[in-house]
Amino acid sequence: MAAAGAVGGTPPVGDGAAGGVPFAVELRRITKRFPGVVANKDIELRVRRGEVHAIVGENGAGKSTLMKTLYGMHRPDEGQILLEGREVHFRSPADAIAAGIGMVHQHFMLADNFTVLENVVLGSEPTKGGRLDRAEARRRIAAISERYRLGLDPDVLVEGLGVGDRQRVEIAKVLYRGARTLILDEPTAVLVPQEVDELFGNLAELKREGLAVIFISHKLDEVRRVADSITVIRRGTTVGEADPRTTTAKELAQMMVGSELPTPETRSSTVRQVPVLRLAGVTVDSGAGRPLVDAVDLTVREGEVVGIAGVEGNGQAELVDAVMGLRPLASGAVRLREADITGWSTRARREAGMGFIPEDRHRQGMLLDAPLWENRILGHQTRPPAARGPFIDRGRARTDTARIMREYDVRAPGPDSLAVALSGGNQQKLIIGREMSAAPRLLVAAHPTRGVDVGAQAVIWELLKDARAEGMGIVLISADLDELIGLSDTLHVMLRGRLVATVDPRQVTPEELGGYMTGARTAAGAA
Amino acid sequence: MNRLRRTGLALLGPVLAVLVALVISGLVIALIGQDPLRALQVMVDLGDAPSQQVQSIVVILNRAVPLFLAGLAVSIAFRMGLFNIGVEGQYRMATVVSAAVGAAVVLPGPLHVLLVIVVAMVVGAFWAGIVGVLKVTRGVSEVISSIMLNFIALGLASFLLTGPLRGSAEGASIITTAPLPESAWFPGLNGVLGAFGLAEPRTELFGFLVVAVVIGVVISVLVQRTRFGFDLRATGMSASAATASGVDARRMVVTTMLLSGAVAGLVGLPDLLGDAHSFGTEFTAGLGFLGIAVALLGRNNVLGVALAALLFAFLDRAALPLQFADIPASVVTIIQGTIVLAVVVANEVVRRLTLRSAERAGAAATGAPPDPGADGGGPGGGPGPDSGPDGGHRVRTGVPGTPEGARA
Repeated sequence: MAAAGAVGGTPPVGDGAAGGVPFAVELRRITKRFPGVVANKDIELRVRRGEVHAIVGENGAGKSTLMKTLYGMHRPDEGQILLEGREVHFRSPADAIAAGIGMVHQHFMLADNFTVLENVVLGSEPTKGGRLDRAEARRRIAAISERYRLGLDPDVLVEGLGVGDRQRVEIAKVLYRGARTLILDEPTAVLVPQEVDELFGNLAELKREGLAVIFISHKLDEVRRVADSITVIRRGTTVGEADPRTTTAKELAQMMVGSELPTPETRSSTVRQVPVLRLAGVTVDSGAGRPLVDAVDLTVREGEVVGIAGVEGNGQAELVDAVMGLRPLASGAVRLREADITGWSTRARREAGMGFIPEDRHRQGMLLDAPLWENRILGHQTRPPAARGPFIDRGRARTDTARIMREYDVRAPGPDSLAVALSGGNQQKLIIGREMSAAPRLLVAAHPTRGVDVGAQAVIWELLKDARAEGMGIVLISADLDELIGLSDTLHVMLRGRLVATVDPRQVTPEELGGYMTGARTAAGAA
Repeated sequence: MNRLRRTGLALLGPVLAVLVALVISGLVIALIGQDPLRALQVMVDLGDAPSQQVQSIVVILNRAVPLFLAGLAVSIAFRMGLFNIGVEGQYRMATVVSAAVGAAVVLPGPLHVLLVIVVAMVVGAFWAGIVGVLKVTRGVSEVISSIMLNFIALGLASFLLTGPLRGSAEGASIITTAPLPESAWFPGLNGVLGAFGLAEPRTELFGFLVVAVVIGVVISVLVQRTRFGFDLRATGMSASAATASGVDARRMVVTTMLLSGAVAGLVGLPDLLGDAHSFGTEFTAGLGFLGIAVALLGRNNVLGVALAALLFAFLDRAALPLQFADIPASVVTIIQGTIVLAVVVANEVVRRLTLRSAERAGAAATGAPPDPGADGGGPGGGPGPDSGPDGGHRVRTGVPGTPEGARA
C-alpha cells in the first residue's frame, strides 16, 4: 500500500503549467450517476503521451462506465474531460473519435466476410469519384501496419484470421481514424499467452510513436508487465495511482478490494449432513477445443452455501446451465437428493425443487413486457398457486404476487404493473421472492446482487442467509469476492472450466482468492 | 397503469394506422385524378334498399370469416415469435385434400361435415408441422421454409387437382375436384337473419361463421388462460427466459406450428362447405397472405383480429362498387397495403408510449427508476430474440437514457 500515492488532497495541475507537457488525457472529478446507482464518483485520471496507463478494478468497480464516458457514449454528470490540456465535451463516440480517441472493444466488431482492408476503412472510406479508393486505402493501411509493426495483410478475409490478428485489425481500425489515445477494454481476456506477448509488443510500438494507451484489465500480473502507471478503481471511485515497478501484485489487489472487512459477514454454520446436490464428473463440451466445464465434482448439503469464485468466462455460467438442465452434459451425473436427474428437463428439475436466480435477469429471469403476476408464475406455471389443472389461476397468482411484493418489499404500483417499470433491485427482489416461495431444496443463485443498489443488496443477502438457515442448499456464483467470502460455507475456485481450489471462506482473503482465480496461486484444496 | 388506459393504448395503434392509411390513400386517389371523398362515399355506401344493405353485410361477413381464420392462424404463431408465412400453402393443401376426401365418402350430415373439418385441420397442421420440425432439427428459419413450402403446396395442389383428385370432366375450362355430396354442405344462416326480421339476401350467410366464433373463443382461452398459452406467450416475449423457466422451446415450436397450421387448414372451408362445394382453379386465393396483414392490424389479439378481418372484408366488398363508379378497384389494395405499413409504425409508437407510461407509473410508486435494458456488461450479448416479427411486441430495444451498463 505504501507505494500507492493516494489521490486525496489537491491533485497536481495538469494543464501544462506545472509539468511542462500537458496530459494526453485528464479526467477531473468525473461523476456519473445512473438511476439508483452512482457508477462513478470523483474519478481522477491522468494519462501521459507515450505511456501505457492501466486501469484496474474488480468487475463492477466502474471501469467500463468510465471508459464509456471518455469515449462519448454517455456524458458525465459532473467533472471535466481534458485532452492535451483543453476541456472537451463529447456528445457521441463520433466526437471522441474526431478528438483522437479510439476504442478497441473486448468483443471484436468485424465483418467476417470482408477483407482486412474493407473492415479497416468501413465507415470512413476514402473515396474517389464516389467509389472506394482501394489504392489509397491500401497505401494508408500499409503505412499504419509498417509504422506500428502490426503485420497486416490488407487482402485476406477476416474470417480466416485468428483472435490475435483480429485484435490487430481492430487496433488498425482506430489508428486509421487518427486515434492518438487508444482505449483497450480487457484486451487480453480473449488471448492465449503467446498472443498476449505479441499484443504487448504492439503496445510498445504504439508507445514509441507517442500514443497514449489506456489498458483496462483486472489481471494484475499482466498489468504490472505492460503498464507504465496504474490507476486503481474501487466501488466507482479512484483509490489511487500506483507505480508498477515498485508495487507488488498483492498490494495492487489490496487496493482493488479495499482493506475493509467483507460486509456479508459469516455466521454460525448451519450445514447438515444430507447432500442436496451432487455433481460427479460434470463435463460440458464447447464443440471445439477444451471443454467449457471440465469434470466438475461438487456436493451441496442442506443448509450449505457453496460459493464458486472465478474470473468471468471460466465456465461458471455453463456450470449453472448444466445444473439447471439448460445445457446438455458431455459426461458426468447430476443428483438431486437421491434422484439421478442427469437426463431431466429443466421443468422437471424445477418441479423437483430447484430454484434459479439467473445471472442475467432480463434475459433469463423476467418477461419485461408482461405484468408482475405473470412474472411471478414464470418458472412455476405448472404448480400452485399458478396452475389449476391445465389453466392458469389468475386470481390466486395476483394475490400471491401481492403477497410477495409485501413480504419481499418489491416496490411497484401493483401486480398488474409491467416488469419493465421496476428498478433492477425490485425486479431482483421479485425473482428471489418467487423462487423462495416455491420452497426449493436447492437454489442456484448466479450473481444475485448484480446491478442492484446497496439497500437491495443487503436485503438479498439476508434472504439468502435465512434460506440457508432453514436448510436450503445454495450454489452461489458471484463476481463480488466479499459476497462470496461472506456468504459461503464452502468456496471453490473455478479456472478454465475446472474447480482448481477449495478454500475456507473464514480464513481466505480476497487477495488469496484473486490469486487462485487468475491462476497465479495454485493449491490442492487448502480447506 | 389501469386497464382502461392500457386498452386505450392498445386500440390507439390500429386506429392511428387506419386513419393514416386513409389519408395516404386519399392522396393517391387524388393523384390519379379521382375525388377521394367520392371514393370514400362509394365505399361506405352499402346500398339503398334494406335488402341491398343486408346483402352487403352478408358479403362482408362471408369474406371476413376466412380472413379471420387466416389472421388467427398467423397470430397464434406470432404470439410465440414465429412468423408463419405459410398459411397460404397450408390452407390450399388442406382444402384440396379435404374436398377430395369429403367427396369420396358418404356419411350422415354432421359427421360428414366434421370429417371434412378434421381432415382439413390435420392436413394444415401437417404442412405447418414440416416447418416446425425443420426449425428444431435443422435450424431452418420458419420464414424461409414456410415461403418455400407455399410454392410446393401450390404446385402440389395443382398436381392433385389436375391429376388424382380431378373430378370435373375432361376438357372442362374450370378444373375442380368432385363436388361434395349435400350431406357435407354446411347449412347457411339466412334463416337466422329472417328470424331477426331482416330481408332475405341473395347470398347465403356462411354457417361456418359459428365455427369461426367458437374457434376464436377456444384459441383466446387457450392462449390467455391456460398453462400451455402461458408457455407460448412467455416464449414469444423472451425465448431465453421461457427456457430457463422450464419451457421446452423445441417442443413449443412444433406444437405451435401444428396449432397454427390446424387453424390455417380451416381457412378454405367456409367457401368449400358453404358455397363452392368443390376445390378448383377458381377457388379463392391469397387469403393466407391477407391473414398476415389482418394479424398485424389486430395486434395478435383474437378480438382485434376479428375486427381487422371485418375491416379488410369491408374494403374488399368496396372493390366492385368502386369499379361501377369508374374508380380503379386497386384503391382497395392500396388502402390495405398502407394500413399494413402504417400499423407497423403505429405499433412501435404505441409500444414506446406504453413503455413510458409504465415507467412513469413505476417511478411514481417507488421513487426508484426502472431498469429496462441494462446490458450484461459489454457488447457480448448481441441481438437477442427481441425483434418480434410484428415489430411491436418487444421491449428491449434500447430506450435513450436507460442505465445501460450502469454497473459495468
